[in-house]
Amino acid sequence: MTNLVEVTGLQKAFGDNVVLRDVGFTAERGTCTALLGPSGSGKTTVLRSLNVLETPEAGVVRIADAEVDFGATVGRGERARQVRRLRSRSGMVFQSHHLFPHKTVLANITEGPVQVQKRPAAEAEEKARALLEQVGLAGREAAYPSQLSGGQQQRVGIARALALEPEVVLLDEPTSALDPELVGEVLAVVRDLAQQGWTMIIVTHEIRFARDVADQVLFLSDGVVAERGGAEVLTDPQEERTRRFLSRVLEAG
Amino acid sequence: MRTTRPRARAVAVLLLGAVAALVLVGPAGPATAADGEDRQTIRVGTEGTYRPYSYEDGGRLTGYDIDVMRAVADEAGLDVDFVEGGFDSLFPELDAGRIDAIANQITINPERASRYLFTRPYTYSRGVIVTAEDNDDITSIDDVRGKRAAQSETSNWAEVARDAGADVQSVDSFAQQALLLRNGQVDVVINDNIAVLDFLASQRDPGIKIVADVDDEISRQALVFRKDEQALRDRADQALQRLAADGTLREISEKYFKADVSVEDGGEADPEGTGGTTSWDLVQEAAGPMVWGAIKGTIPLTVISFVVGLAIALVTALARMSSSRWLRAPARVYISIIRGTPLLVQLFIIYFGLPQIGIDLPSLVAACVAFSLNVGGYAAEIIRSSILSVPRGQFEAATTIGMDYRQTMRRIVLPQASRIAVPPLSNTLLSLIKDTSLASVVLVNELLREADKVAQNAGNYMALYLLAAAYYWVICFVVSVGQGRLEKKLGKYSV
Repeated sequence: MTNLVEVTGLQKAFGDNVVLRDVGFTAERGTCTALLGPSGSGKTTVLRSLNVLETPEAGVVRIADAEVDFGATVGRGERARQVRRLRSRSGMVFQSHHLFPHKTVLANITEGPVQVQKRPAAEAEEKARALLEQVGLAGREAAYPSQLSGGQQQRVGIARALALEPEVVLLDEPTSALDPELVGEVLAVVRDLAQQGWTMIIVTHEIRFARDVADQVLFLSDGVVAERGGAEVLTDPQEERTRRFLSRVLEAG
Repeated sequence: MRTTRPRARAVAVLLLGAVAALVLVGPAGPATAADGEDRQTIRVGTEGTYRPYSYEDGGRLTGYDIDVMRAVADEAGLDVDFVEGGFDSLFPELDAGRIDAIANQITINPERASRYLFTRPYTYSRGVIVTAEDNDDITSIDDVRGKRAAQSETSNWAEVARDAGADVQSVDSFAQQALLLRNGQVDVVINDNIAVLDFLASQRDPGIKIVADVDDEISRQALVFRKDEQALRDRADQALQRLAADGTLREISEKYFKADVSVEDGGEADPEGTGGTTSWDLVQEAAGPMVWGAIKGTIPLTVISFVVGLAIALVTALARMSSSRWLRAPARVYISIIRGTPLLVQLFIIYFGLPQIGIDLPSLVAACVAFSLNVGGYAAEIIRSSILSVPRGQFEAATTIGMDYRQTMRRIVLPQASRIAVPPLSNTLLSLIKDTSLASVVLVNELLREADKVAQNAGNYMALYLLAAAYYWVICFVVSVGQGRLEKKLGKYSV
């Protein structure tokens, strides 16, 4: 297996607040990586650096054949090209879905393939319908996002990310904005994706879910990867910080 | 939007280009003096509201000065194109080169003679002192000292009143002056005897009277030309001479005054007047021309200015939000100037000011430019705040599906922003509809000006201004109904 995603030396500060000191990790193709850590540990910033919604000050991000070295000095045009290329390798699922409210479910999903990837509308629609079926929303093509429940909205968000056929799907706490009774349906879809072999990187607080689904767990703390391993990290953490965090989260849960 | 700079810059260049194009459009106005003898058409300024010299009758311009001017043009082999405007705009129009001559009972005096070219006189008249019917304080010019007078600011009579020691207030037309007189808002008006006699003959209850002549002096009125129009003036002057010799002038004069005012001792003028009209007559007379004024003036002016204004506003809003200081700063200055200065002043600068630096816009174009720039300034802030109110997540979602700045704006952000912007932009549109009435002062023949012409001629304001108000209300009502529908349409996605 080759590393599909490779991150090294990522650094990011917001003003005086240093969020990422030195973050590096890899993820293999077809695996699910769970990013965990206390709030403020920088896990969302890491995820948003992978598609440059945040611009790190230094470090290298590579996804498949696209790479950006944030520390390197390159011209503005060249940097924009690199960033565009890197972005096109990933799809993003947001915490609060960010569906386009003025477009139907179907149009939300076909927007990227048709407008950006310039695929024929008919083909994109066919594919969108298949994706909707996969996330359990067949028949809701004509609905507007506001007519859906939170869980349904998030599942459309997932379909929208998949429609671009990205190398890797990035999920930023996809269930934390949902009512508890809606969490299950979204996690079921994510679990389904993992089984189908999608490469995923997911920021989550759902420890049990991570334990079940993740091939790799990254525990972030104080701007570094404090612990990295298989799902066993969650049952038998080596680091004191990880242990404290887990006991706190599991108590609360 | 760090990665979108080049786009924003291109957009700003477009903005500047658009503004420049707007400002420069049509400086190639009609020809000026250089054409000399070859010219076919002469543009002549006149009030169109000064009975019995220059007024509209059933929508057609007529009057003594008008007939004389037509005869002169005919005799001199010229086509004549009348441009109607308030008295105080006539000389600025002449200075700006938008008209070539004035035919409006312009009295020859030394000050004017030094700045302009006169033909030989075609009217001999006397100045008379007019007061309210029940005012017995003033019996001669000596009593005018310290009294309040209403006069057209740039008219000869204003100077006469001022010289006599009156406190002169600027009021454009004689009908308005008479109204103020009757209401007791001013004490005295000095004007030409024939105009006053005509007014008295046109009103059922004029409420004013002639108390005395100003003095024994006869004043002489003539056509006036710009200093550089020597050849044209000479042609008109020779034509006048021939018309006087062959009796044409006398004929025209007798038609209006039952006397020959084109010579010094042609008898006492006795203008016919209208015999008095009711408000209902006037409403009937004005209703049609006002609809035309709305269709040919108010509505196109509004539509063009709004569309162009929105384009300017969008570009300005994007420039204002750009990461480049060189785009933000001019956008901010532009918005600040537009919002910080009166629309009427902006209109005057563009219509009366720009010709002085060689940019001469026809009145409708000038009004469109002024209103477009005005809408652009106001709507820019509306559009900017609407864009800012679209959640950041929408930009991010568009970015993550690979959209560039233009796609993000056009397909994701602006459709959402437009719904937010519709109510405030509708307010802008409603304001614009009403503001277009200001164009009447730069001689655009729009709704209010059509009402005004009839009102001025008849000296009856209430009925016609109420009618104008009703017209504006109807237009605004239709627009606000449209706004409701548009909001519904744009809002269909939020249940």
